[in-house]
Amino acid sequence: MLFNSLEFAVFFPLVVGIYFLLPQRYRVLWLLVSSCVFYMAFIPVYILILFVTILIDYFAGMYIEKMQGRARTALLWVSIVSTCSVLFVFKYFGFFTSNINGLAGLLGLHPPMPVLKIILPIGLSFHTFQSLSYVIEVFRGRQEAEPHFPTYATYVMFFPQLVAGPIERPQHLLHQFWEHHVFDYERVTSGLKRMAWGFFKKLVVADRLALYVNDVYAAPQNFNGLQLTLATVFFAYQIYCDFSGYSDIAIGTARVLGFRLMENFDTPYYSRSISEFWHRWHISLSTWFRDYVYISMGGSRVAKSRWFFNLMVTFAVSGLWHGANWTYVIWGALNGAYLVAGITTKNLRDRFFGSFGLREKTVMRQAIMIASTFGLTCIGWVIFRARNLDDAWYVLTHFFRSWDFGQIKTEQFLLRQFPVAVASIAVLEIGQLWQHRVSIPSILGRLPLTPRWALYAAFVMTVLMFGIYRNTQFIYFQF
Amino acid sequence: MSSELPNEEDSRSLIRKEFVGPPVAARLPTPPRTKETIAEKNASVAPLNPRHWRGLAQIVGFFGLIVILIFATNAMINVGLRHITTCDFGVSNRVMTGRINAEILITGSSRALTHYDSRVIQKITGRQTFNIGLNGSQTDMQLALFKAYLNHNVKPKLVVNNLDLFSFVTSHEIYDPAQYMPYLKEEAFYHAICRVYPDAWKWKYLPLYGYLVEDNLFKWLLGVKGFLGFQGKEDRFQGFLPRHTTWTGDFKKFRDAHPEGVKFDIEPQGVRDLTELVQICRQQGIAIMFVYSPEYAEMQMLERNRREIFARFREICNRFNVPLWDYSESPLCQSRTNFYNSQHLNAEGAEAFSTDLALRLAGSGLLPPTKGGTK
Repeated sequence: MLFNSLEFAVFFPLVVGIYFLLPQRYRVLWLLVSSCVFYMAFIPVYILILFVTILIDYFAGMYIEKMQGRARTALLWVSIVSTCSVLFVFKYFGFFTSNINGLAGLLGLHPPMPVLKIILPIGLSFHTFQSLSYVIEVFRGRQEAEPHFPTYATYVMFFPQLVAGPIERPQHLLHQFWEHHVFDYERVTSGLKRMAWGFFKKLVVADRLALYVNDVYAAPQNFNGLQLTLATVFFAYQIYCDFSGYSDIAIGTARVLGFRLMENFDTPYYSRSISEFWHRWHISLSTWFRDYVYISMGGSRVAKSRWFFNLMVTFAVSGLWHGANWTYVIWGALNGAYLVAGITTKNLRDRFFGSFGLREKTVMRQAIMIASTFGLTCIGWVIFRARNLDDAWYVLTHFFRSWDFGQIKTEQFLLRQFPVAVASIAVLEIGQLWQHRVSIPSILGRLPLTPRWALYAAFVMTVLMFGIYRNTQFIYFQF
Repeated sequence: MSSELPNEEDSRSLIRKEFVGPPVAARLPTPPRTKETIAEKNASVAPLNPRHWRGLAQIVGFFGLIVILIFATNAMINVGLRHITTCDFGVSNRVMTGRINAEILITGSSRALTHYDSRVIQKITGRQTFNIGLNGSQTDMQLALFKAYLNHNVKPKLVVNNLDLFSFVTSHEIYDPAQYMPYLKEEAFYHAICRVYPDAWKWKYLPLYGYLVEDNLFKWLLGVKGFLGFQGKEDRFQGFLPRHTTWTGDFKKFRDAHPEGVKFDIEPQGVRDLTELVQICRQQGIAIMFVYSPEYAEMQMLERNRREIFARFREICNRFNVPLWDYSESPLCQSRTNFYNSQHLNAEGAEAFSTDLALRLAGSGLLPPTKGGTK
């Protein structure tokens, strides 16, 4: 079920209403049933795959806690391999076989493997990682195994974050299912406000920009340099608003029910370096990779060459997590390379800025760093968004060619859409900058009822009237 | 070398801090209570107290206000769009309020809309002429508009239906759905749309749904403007839409994309729709004729089943004794200066074609005599 669907508009109040009316002992069960309904709205039979993953890791957690020594480690690996196998079969098998067959073709051999085309279960990578996180934390002794099966199943399936995160850690989420959440007006309205902001990002900003981006990236060869540049900048905003909008709705939805989910974004385009960007972009995933992959490989407490290797591998794998395509792997590796280059050139950059008298905290230096980080991120987004590497190369090499301001619109995105798109980005940026300094919800909350409701109603109606509601699945669902 | 080591370590530890930070799990607070103590605490919490009920009432009240606003906005947009007197909505509103009552009625797709200059035809034939060509439409939607026209207006004396090679193709999507939104109470429209979108009940019964979900072009803003009394600049003249445009590059792109040419489907439902149009005219005693208006000659060569489609046109014409005037061989088709793309005449081409058609019409005897005699 999509958050931005009529079904959700009926589903959510019903779930919330019944949740608060039920006695505590039935609430987890109710959340589990609701989460199943939510998930089955996509492809019902795929719930069985989710169920298999849940069963494996539930029993793995229970037995890992009881066992000692090698058996405990072996069980951890059994759990990791079997959970990842599900991910591999559904997400990577087609990619793997097509690469093997391609290689065989190059060597003049008959394609040895059948190519399976399987529809990827929605959000598979997210709940797989959440399950893995649980098993690893139990293994490391930082989390008790959860004996109550419905509670564990709800931890994996909790509908607000089931299909696109934030990827939670058991220490943060699991115990919340045992807490009693009362209907608290302040908390519920705060959750609703967060949801409204998420809907604005998704419906008004991301999905409108998607019209332009989809047109241009479908056949970049048909567009001039200005359109390619604009489409790339639009994509940067689209993917940010799409995903952070989803996270806002997820966090808000959970907050209405009384749950606290981790923050997933922190105005990433204001980062002054790529490393800072990864602290502020998809935080739940980058910290997952950091804690379970990067640090497991030795992190930075190794020889410099090994450190760089660790960075490159972590980011390449993170790229592959996003999708079974070489464009994602290269995008990940590019970000790894950015980090390595950032580390190796730090002194050089300091000297360069110093020669112009631009010290660390000067506004000019900060602005240059933010702009250059955004530019580097956009180069990455080209590779991420392009259908294939040929298209990506074409876009990257045609940014500054034949700019024609008379030819700026596309088939789906007419001139009249530009003012709305630009205004929505402006509202987004102003909102974020303002929110950075003060808490907008708390300021609004102090207003008298009439102006407060008028502002809220105006915002809701603006989102409603200027949103896009067709073919608007969230980008990260496919990961 | 040894003196460099601490410095290198310092910078690396700084960077390490920058990228690594402490593990998330280490930073997370350990669960503060055991499950038993949480359960004990829970047992003492009352489910809902009066303060909660007040909060709940406020939230319900707010969403009630939003629902009212949604209904009010929907009504305002519908009223505004129905009050527009210019452009496309102006024509639709004239149809729906019975303010056309033409003697010669032009029907068809965008080709009809941009080819038949009603002013020229009226001037030459002396008969009041109106063009209700429908942009981006197939025969099914044209038929729906024609039925709506007959519901509200005096019957025309002659219907000139413009044919296209896609006349037997049914709508697989509705082009510019917002143009139909204010008129969904019109049964003919509603049924035609439902045939394409079984979900169209949502357009009719869920306020704003149609405008917001189906229309990305902010047509609803026209409704708001119309409600406030603003009218757009008129671009339709007795329904005719002149396109003052020169030849675009679209045809080249099309030809490059389809070097083998194109085939158009002949769908049984499409044949039934065109036949129904003729039957309605017959039943109501309205004269009808088909015209295949000029189409750019090079395009005609790319149409692989052109003969087959024309055979079906002629079959219907013979069955119901309907004249068919085919302008495929017209000299107008040879020159790009008359067109802006392969399918559509520009304003100059339309004027030349309309003059020729009107002259032929005036001398054809297809028009019933007026009280004062034909001009």
